[in-house]
This record gives sequence, structure tokens and C-alpha cells, in this order.
Amino acid sequence: MSIADLAPHRFPAAWRWVIERVWRLEHAFERAKAAGKAEDDTRLRILFVLAVFGLLFLFAGVGATFAALFSDAGKGGAGAGLAVNARADLVDRNGQLLAMDLVHYAVYVDPNEVWDRSETRKGLLGVLPQLPGKRLDKALAGKQRRFIFGGLTPDQKRMIHDLGLPGVSFEPEVGRSYPLGNTGSHLIGFARPDGSGMAGAEAGLEPALVAGAKDGKPVALSIDLRVQGALEDELAAAAAEFRPRGAVGIVTDIHTGEILGMASWPDFDPNRPGAASPDQTLNRAAASVFEMGSTFKAFTVAIGLDTGVATPSSMFDARTPFQMGYRTIHDYHGTNRILSLVEVFNHSSNIGTAKLAESIGPERLAGYFKRFGLTRPANIELRESARPLTPKVWGADDIASVSFGHGIDVSPLTLAQAMGAILNGGNMIPLTIRKQKEGYCPKGVPVISEKTSMTMLQMMRANVVGGTGRKADAVGYNVGGKTGTGEKYDPAIRAYSGYKQIASFAAVFPTDGPVTAKRYFVLILLDEPQGGIRTGGIVAAPAVGRLVERIAPFLGVPRRTPTIPMIGMTPVSPEDGL
Amino acid sequence: MIGALFNHRTRGFRTINLVGMALLIAMALTVNLAKTYAGRERSQIDRIDRRIVAEQQRIRLLQAEVAHLEQPNRLEKLSRETLGMAPTTSKQEVSVAALPQAAGQPVEPVRIATAVVASPEPKADEPKAEEPKAPEPEPAKPVEGVKR
Repeated sequence: MSIADLAPHRFPAAWRWVIERVWRLEHAFERAKAAGKAEDDTRLRILFVLAVFGLLFLFAGVGATFAALFSDAGKGGAGAGLAVNARADLVDRNGQLLAMDLVHYAVYVDPNEVWDRSETRKGLLGVLPQLPGKRLDKALAGKQRRFIFGGLTPDQKRMIHDLGLPGVSFEPEVGRSYPLGNTGSHLIGFARPDGSGMAGAEAGLEPALVAGAKDGKPVALSIDLRVQGALEDELAAAAAEFRPRGAVGIVTDIHTGEILGMASWPDFDPNRPGAASPDQTLNRAAASVFEMGSTFKAFTVAIGLDTGVATPSSMFDARTPFQMGYRTIHDYHGTNRILSLVEVFNHSSNIGTAKLAESIGPERLAGYFKRFGLTRPANIELRESARPLTPKVWGADDIASVSFGHGIDVSPLTLAQAMGAILNGGNMIPLTIRKQKEGYCPKGVPVISEKTSMTMLQMMRANVVGGTGRKADAVGYNVGGKTGTGEKYDPAIRAYSGYKQIASFAAVFPTDGPVTAKRYFVLILLDEPQGGIRTGGIVAAPAVGRLVERIAPFLGVPRRTPTIPMIGMTPVSPEDGL
Repeated sequence: MIGALFNHRTRGFRTINLVGMALLIAMALTVNLAKTYAGRERSQIDRIDRRIVAEQQRIRLLQAEVAHLEQPNRLEKLSRETLGMAPTTSKQEVSVAALPQAAGQPVEPVRIATAVVASPEPKADEPKAEEPKAPEPEPAKPVEGVKR
């Protein structure tokens, strides 16, 4: 009987062959023993042991050769490992670099290894004239290895290395760098040296930045650097002219919610955030809330149209101040006549708007305001997004105030988000600072009808053609908009100040074309502008006009035949309304 | 057969032992050579890797420098101050449809040189007649007609 017979027959022939060979070898020992040839038995066993060791050696040799030639150990080279605090690059929507990790070098001095102190001192100061001499002297006179200076470029490191100074050594350090300096500083934000984001996109997009570093892919922001540059330039020009306490500029795509430009003035250099004052680092676009004033009339009018309470031709008596609750409402420049809704909007009549709000009713108005997102922080990735200050109870007084933008404080981003819903066909779309794919079109939550949205576009255009926003008209871009001038509460006098104001202009362009046409929202806001007349139409609207003229070519908006909206109205001077 | 394999001798040494020894030496040499070769290759790879990393860092620095130099505010300032450029206005733009109309408009002739009366050879110390100048660009404006 063969041992092969014990094996299941399903085993392959090779397996049976091996078993038979082993069996025969074992029998060879037995046969040699039985034949009385003990030496044969010993030789066989020696052969067997040798063969086993030979095979083992062969396997070990092949394994060692394979490991030596084809192992992954050491692959990637020196210094190629990912730093613990690595973050992905931040780029704008066109791939322009905004923030990046850069390897710098820190130089150390060990006085125990220094041969010639004066030579070391001279050599280091020759390459690094900015090196504090006192610190170097202290290190050279000490007993331990000390950090001397950081942030060396590879060229500076090489120059020092080439000096061949004993006791001088280097250590690599990864730091976050913002090559654009102040440009886009509030949107980009900044990160701590340990790699954690502190503000702006650096904080808001933390997971994406960490994941991007592992994949080696940059994170693209929605901003267009050209738009951002023009926005900051116009904001700085307006700030230089009107010397405000602060200023904000925002440009968004109303169909995608993408922020194309966002600026807060004054700004700061994110490379040295510690050198900036809290006023500079404050992101007024996201983290500050303001009583926007008359830009809110756009919401009240849109709600009035959407609920069917009013039509563009509905008439409102603005001849006398209007009593609502405990409040008596006046117009900034009283028209003392009966106004159509379009004229109420163009003259920025508080009386007309309050009467419209009364007709709408507190419940419906509050409901719409909530659906417009005016009672919540703007839905955006930025952690700074501030919560609005809203009335606790929507009573008659509050309704009157809120209808024309008083008694409710929202951030400029919240306003931009809500304005987008008015102008994009009526859908509430969250804002985003991340670049979206081509053709991205979020569905959003319907707030008002498409018809109301189109009417609002016409009314906002009418306001620029013949209303308080005339200074925002950029020829051929059919700009529409609404001025806003909100009085600020002054704690010193415990009342609203007649001197401290928020002047803004909320614009949209182009207003012509179908509801799906590419359209952009622009907001310019100045906090406490100085000078004579400081209304939104005088302070902010001209900056919007200049800005639209500059950014429209970047956004692919060609000049077109200027449109004059349908509704007849009496011409209004920009000084006349809020 | 196995016995013969063990018993066969060459110059007094068992052949099997000689063969085993030869195999052992060959294998040891092979492994040693392979290790040496691989070590050399690895150090070369490491050297190249270090150079790649250094180059990558240099490229990153240059990218940062380019981004710094291409700051919108800096470019705008340079464009305004050194090239006299400014954002285009509606007066500087014309649509394709309006081109024939713009081309059909008569253009006011621009004086390019002052007429100089022919005179004898000027003296060496006298200033020469003014060279014709290239017409200076003028902002586009509606032209009423050619003055005759």
C-alpha cells in the first residue's frame, strides 16, 4: 500500500508524486537498516539534512536578494515625508496661489563647537544682517545649543553652510505662507504655526486642507483674484474718500452662491497676524452685524409682491408721518404725496414701506424673513459667520422698524445670501467659499416666486435708472440696486445717532435677460463714513458702479443695450433717499 | 545510485562536498554582490531624491515669489504708474455690430508735421527743422465732420 493511496484522489498528480518521493526516502532508511548497511543509512540522513539546509539557504539567499533590490524601504528620499502640520495649498478659482506651506530653515548655534566666535559672528551677520546681534552674542557666550533665527530660505541656508562655520547647524521648519500679503486676507484667514486654522478659509476648510495635503491637491476657493483685487481697490478708494471706521465689499454669483470676492477694510497681513490690531483682523463681512437700513426695503417689497398684498402700481399715501405701534415713521426727504410701490422703493420711503409691512402682517413678514435666512447666521463655511440680532417678539413696532431695516442687525454675508434669493428666481441658496464645478446649480429652497423675482430685478434696475442708486449705473451693464443708510445706536447718548451711519448699496447686474441668466450680486458698505451727505446713494453707489465696470469683463458679462424698466416714475436725486 | 553519488571522489574529496561548497560560495557571492549593488543604487536614489526635494522646495519658493509679484494691487499700481493704463470705459468699447458704423464715420485729419518753407542749407548751429512726429493717440470721440 502506498501512502499516496491515503491521500484523497482529488489531489493533483504532482502532490502524489511528492508524497511518494518522501515515502520512498523513508523506506530507503528502513531498507538500508534492514540490509545491515548502517553507513548507507547515515549517509542518507546526512544527505537529507544537507538538502534541507541547502534549500533553506537558497530561500534565504533569494529572499535577501529580493529584499535588497526590490524593497520599498527608503523610498521617497530624505525629507520627502509629510510634515505633521502639513496643509494643502489654497488657490483661487483660476488656480492662482493664495496660501501654501513653505519649508524654511532655522539656524542654531552650539557654543561648545564654535572655534572662533568673532568669525562666526561676522559670518552670520554678513548673510543675515537682520539677525539681532544681542541674541547672537548671548548664544555664543552661553553653554547650550540655541535657536538663533528662523525663516531662512534655502539660498540663505546654503550661503551660511558654505561659510563652513563649526557649531552652526540648521533644522527645517514648515510654515504657512501667504504670498499675496493683505489681498483677500479676511477670506483666506490664517493658521497657527502648529497647522491649525484660526480664521477665514484656513479655519472653515480645515478638514479639506488637511486631506488635501495628504493627496497633494490644492483646495480651490470660489474667489476670483481679479475680482478680489478690484473690489479691494474700490473699497480702499471709498475708504480714503469717506474715512469710515470700516468697510465691506462682497461679490457673489447669485445662482451658485459662490463668493467671488469678499473684502473687509481695514485689512491685515496674514503672514504677521500678531502685528495686526483686532480692528484689522475683524472680518466685518462675516463677523459683524449692522442695521442695514433701506436695503431691507427690498425684502419688504418682495414679500408684499409675493403675498399679493401689493403690485408695482399699488398706491401708498406718504403725505404725512405714519403712526405704527408706539413709533411715528417719517421719510428722510418727504415727498408729501401718494406714491406707487415702485416710487416707494425708488424714493426709499419709510412711510410707504411701513404701510406695506402693516398690510402684510407680522406673522407673514416674520415667516418670510426667517425663510430668507435673515434670522440665522449666513449658511457658509466660515466659522466667523455671525448670528443676526432680531426682535424677540415681532410686534407692530418691530414690524415697522424691520420693514425698512431698523431694529434688526445682520451680517453683510447674511444680507448677500438673502438678496441672492430675491434675485435668482426666488430660491434660498447657501453661500460658499469653495469653487463649484462647471454647471453647478443648486436647487435651493423656494422663498418667493420667479415672477416676484423678475419684478424685483426690474424695480432694482428702476432704482438705478431714476432712483436713489443712480450713481451706481455702469453704462451697458444694466445695474440694479437698492441704497441703504442705517443709523447706528450710540451708547453714549442711548439713542440712534444722526451722525454715525451705515451707508450701503446692494446691487445686481445685469438685470436684463431671463431668470436663469448669469447674474452677480455686489454689496459695498461703509461703517460711519465721514463728510457731508453720507447716504448709501452718495457713499457706496459710486463705488459699486466703478466696481461693476471693472469686474464685468472678468465675469464674462458683455456690455449690452441699456434697459429702462417699464414703470414710469418721477426722477429722484441720490441725495433724496436712504 | 544515491550511494554512488556520495562515494564519487575527485582528487580525494567527495564530489558532492565540492559541488555543495561551490554552490555555497556562488550563492554567498551573489547575495553579497546584489547587496553591494543595491546599496549603491539606493544611495544614488537617495541623492536624487534629496535633489528632487530641494528642487521642489525651490519651485515652491519661486511659485510664492511669482504669486507675490502678481498681487492684483501691485500690478494695478504698476500699470497705472508706469504704463498709464486704466480700466476700460464704455467709450473705449464697441460691439462687432457697431463696427461698420464706427468705420464709416469720417475721421478728422490729424496734423503730423508743420510745413516748413524750403530754405538753404541750415547753419551748423541752427536747429534743424522739426521732424515729423507720430500722431498722438487721442481718446475716441464722436467726430462731427471734416473741416475743409
